[in-house]
Amino acid sequence: MAEVRLQDIVKIYPQIEKDKHSKKKHNLEVTEKGVVAVQQFNMDIKDKEFIVLVGPSGCGKSTTLRMIAGLEEITEGELYIDGELMNAVAPKDRDIAMVFQSYALYPHMTVFDNMAYSLKIKHMPKEEIRKKVEEAAEILDITKYLDRKPKALSGGQRQRVAIGRAIVRNPKVLLMDEPLSNLDAKLRNQMRAELLKLQNRIQTTIVYVTHDQVEAMTLGDRIVVMKDGYIQQIGTPQEVFNHPANTFVAGFIGTPQMNFFEGELVRNGEEYSVHYKNYVVRLSESKAKRLAEKHVESQSVTFGVRPDQMHIGEEGIDAEVEVSEMMGTSSHLHAKLDGKDVIVIVPTNGEESTDITRIKLSFSGKMVHVFSKEDGRNLEI
Amino acid sequence: MNKKNKMASIQLALTRVLVYAIILFLCFLCLFFFVMLIVNASRTNNQLQRGFTLIPGGHFFYNMKNAFADASIQIPSGMMNSFIVAASSALLTTYFSALTAYGLYVYDFKLKKLAYTFIIAVMMIPTQVSAVGFVQLVYKYGMNNKLWVLIVPSIAAPAVFYYMHQYLKATLPLDIVEASRIDGASEFGTFNRIVLPIMKPAMAVQMIFSFVAAWNNYFLPALLLTKAGKKTVPIMIAQLRSADYSKFDMGKVYMFILLAILPVIVVYMFLSKSIIKGVTSGSVKG
Amino acid sequence: MKNKKPKGKSVSYAKWGYIFIIPFFVVYVLFTLYPQFLTVYNSFFENYRDGLTQVGPRFVGLDNYKALLTPTSSGSIDIIKYFGNTIVMWIMGSVPQFVFALLLAVFFTNTRLNIKGQRIMKTVIYMPNLIMASAFSMLFYTLFSNVGPIKPLLMQMGIIDKTFDFFFITISVRSLVALLNFLMWFGNTTILLMAGIQSIDESLFESARIDGASSTRVFFNITMPLLKPIFVYTLITSMIGGLQMFDVPSVLTNAKGTPDRTVMTVIMYLNNYLGGSNNYGMAGAISVLLFIVTGILSVIVFKTIDRDKG
Repeated sequence: MAEVRLQDIVKIYPQIEKDKHSKKKHNLEVTEKGVVAVQQFNMDIKDKEFIVLVGPSGCGKSTTLRMIAGLEEITEGELYIDGELMNAVAPKDRDIAMVFQSYALYPHMTVFDNMAYSLKIKHMPKEEIRKKVEEAAEILDITKYLDRKPKALSGGQRQRVAIGRAIVRNPKVLLMDEPLSNLDAKLRNQMRAELLKLQNRIQTTIVYVTHDQVEAMTLGDRIVVMKDGYIQQIGTPQEVFNHPANTFVAGFIGTPQMNFFEGELVRNGEEYSVHYKNYVVRLSESKAKRLAEKHVESQSVTFGVRPDQMHIGEEGIDAEVEVSEMMGTSSHLHAKLDGKDVIVIVPTNGEESTDITRIKLSFSGKMVHVFSKEDGRNLEI
Repeated sequence: MNKKNKMASIQLALTRVLVYAIILFLCFLCLFFFVMLIVNASRTNNQLQRGFTLIPGGHFFYNMKNAFADASIQIPSGMMNSFIVAASSALLTTYFSALTAYGLYVYDFKLKKLAYTFIIAVMMIPTQVSAVGFVQLVYKYGMNNKLWVLIVPSIAAPAVFYYMHQYLKATLPLDIVEASRIDGASEFGTFNRIVLPIMKPAMAVQMIFSFVAAWNNYFLPALLLTKAGKKTVPIMIAQLRSADYSKFDMGKVYMFILLAILPVIVVYMFLSKSIIKGVTSGSVKG
Repeated sequence: MKNKKPKGKSVSYAKWGYIFIIPFFVVYVLFTLYPQFLTVYNSFFENYRDGLTQVGPRFVGLDNYKALLTPTSSGSIDIIKYFGNTIVMWIMGSVPQFVFALLLAVFFTNTRLNIKGQRIMKTVIYMPNLIMASAFSMLFYTLFSNVGPIKPLLMQMGIIDKTFDFFFITISVRSLVALLNFLMWFGNTTILLMAGIQSIDESLFESARIDGASSTRVFFNITMPLLKPIFVYTLITSMIGGLQMFDVPSVLTNAKGTPDRTVMTVIMYLNNYLGGSNNYGMAGAISVLLFIVTGILSVIVFKTIDRDKG
């Protein structure tokens, strides 16, 4: 039972210090106090919720996690865990555990001692420590490595030990900082599935940081998309995917990336349509309704369509295919459209790739996302 | 074709012979004087009068007994004093250098950069520069003939600090420190239980070097330790030099010298590999 | 909402940084920095013991320095002479030290030569570095003195005659000092230079060889230029160490620097003022001069390291 509340959390690094933790030159705001790594972070994390912070490097996601952990000072704002103010509480008194990107296993200790370390510090009786460590090892399937040193383990095994060390203490909140990024692709897929199972089993609140949107989509109950220290959107994977708050979220979530076009939004009473040159698509009723509620008028817009929602047909926008990547059940066509790259996913139907170079692209009015041309925000929200 | 190959292999063989000759000559030079020392330490005064030989004289333990029993050069007390100073200095210097290096590596604070720069800047100042003031202070407060005045200053050893700092930079990811914090350890707990074990190789090497340096140190101890029961080995060796030579049992003299260097040689025989490794890791890395 | 264990305003760890470094700085200030200040301070005072009477301390300005730099009746300036002695003996020892160290480092790292038994060889040549300098010097004294075994040996070989005394001739005493320093340091230098050569990308040597360069060419065109920063660093630290030369000449000549003070080094000079008469004024002035010279050399070291990094 652990709720985490972040209230107006801000992190500012004094500018003189060359920071050790991945702070290079980014588009972060600089005030007279220093570089603002995290801006006004507000969020209520519910008990047993799996929250994923996602964004490109330098977006402030790790810094936020480290502030929850107590490894990083909170410049402004308040952090509550289970209703208790935590700003000044040392990490050891926060009842949290953390899995590091590098695993941070103690190299001179065996797997058992690594996992038992925090319990020993708490002066837990030896027997109880043994029981707890063995239990956790069982869950993670590392029982037979308990006597080994980290050096003698593979990357995947180390990863499990790192998780084991974290769950052995039944923390209120489990923090994970890019835990899968050092694994190869196959192991990563496997561990992703296991993490989900693990969460069901240990029933604890998890805050998870990643730069990989696939991990975010598959693991998170809710996703927090961040960029340059700002929260871009908080929502379930479906909400973030189907209703991205702005062009950044739209482009960041989903692969291949959403295609963007510069066009016109035209309002005609309760009806809306987007115009790209001669091509016109009428927006679906639900979209039109939401736009109308926001009193959106005719204007120049950026609109986006995901690659799998683009169709090739007799009518549409003229484009020229440059490369076709065969992906198995589908092909990714890289097309040039007025000098811009557009990606279209087409089913292969078991046929050999065709040599079409000139195509006409179309899409349905249900699948168009309309963004403001000035600030990129989704006009529907 | 065959001829060309043959010429080349002859040339290589000749080069090898020359190279081995040079190396072996130097090795010989390094060993020769010590072999002579050991041989002569086993000969009686009379045997020694007869001149040069490399055949041992069979009176090694006789000389050793005499050396230990000598009234004017109290070598057992000297070795004890030297050992106390060297061992304590080695422990203090490694622990506190590691502590300081850790403090300046892990924590961020206002004076961090200044403190680091300061230590690096004073690293090259010869110890003799502080010697005048130090000697004056020691005598002023009547602390001469106290072994601890030679031990305590080893807490602040800039060169050892630098070595430890380099080692930490190369081996200790900050994540491990943070993991320990989250696991509930205090800051000193993390240092003693996590960091020190990780630094064990560096600690061992520095402990040996500091021990050897303190064991061999002559300049300052000679100025501060003047009472008979307080002298360290190097002072006694110098005393030997200034004594009236003709009256001395030379076998005993060689034995004194051997006893002075023996502890270090023994340590070296067991740990030469890590000591030689330690020589390079302490120097500049690009 | 209650605040659990309110310790200060934040979880900043800065104070721990101070706590960890404080012992070092307290000890450094008390036992090194303050004495250093006293050394400089003393150099402006007349302060010594003459028999049982204490003279001073009395402020004399730069008089101590003037005294140091005033020519004696024989026309030479003592401190300059002793700096000269120190440097001459350092050069006599360090030239073979660096030549042989460089040779050995190249031999050991040359894959074509493939020297066997390197570990034991390195162990042997490094050993003298750990030997107590005073004991090593004492050994040399006993071996080379009139009653030692070397002299009869050399006489048998007809190299010297009976009247020859190693400790009566400037060049031979200096040579013994140099030989001792050489033996004690060339192994250390070899190991440092070896590490330097090993840090050079092996493929550079290989490509040079395939380009047709001879071993000598490889040495001068590849090894030396790339080794230069480390070489210079070792050279200058050796020079700083050389300026502090004390144990060897002191024990070898019974602190007298004989013959005719031609083996007297700067630190031996300092030691004479400090040990006998507790002349803190003159000793302070010598220390300051030594400090200045060393400081200049240190600056050169840092310049070379910086250039290496830049």
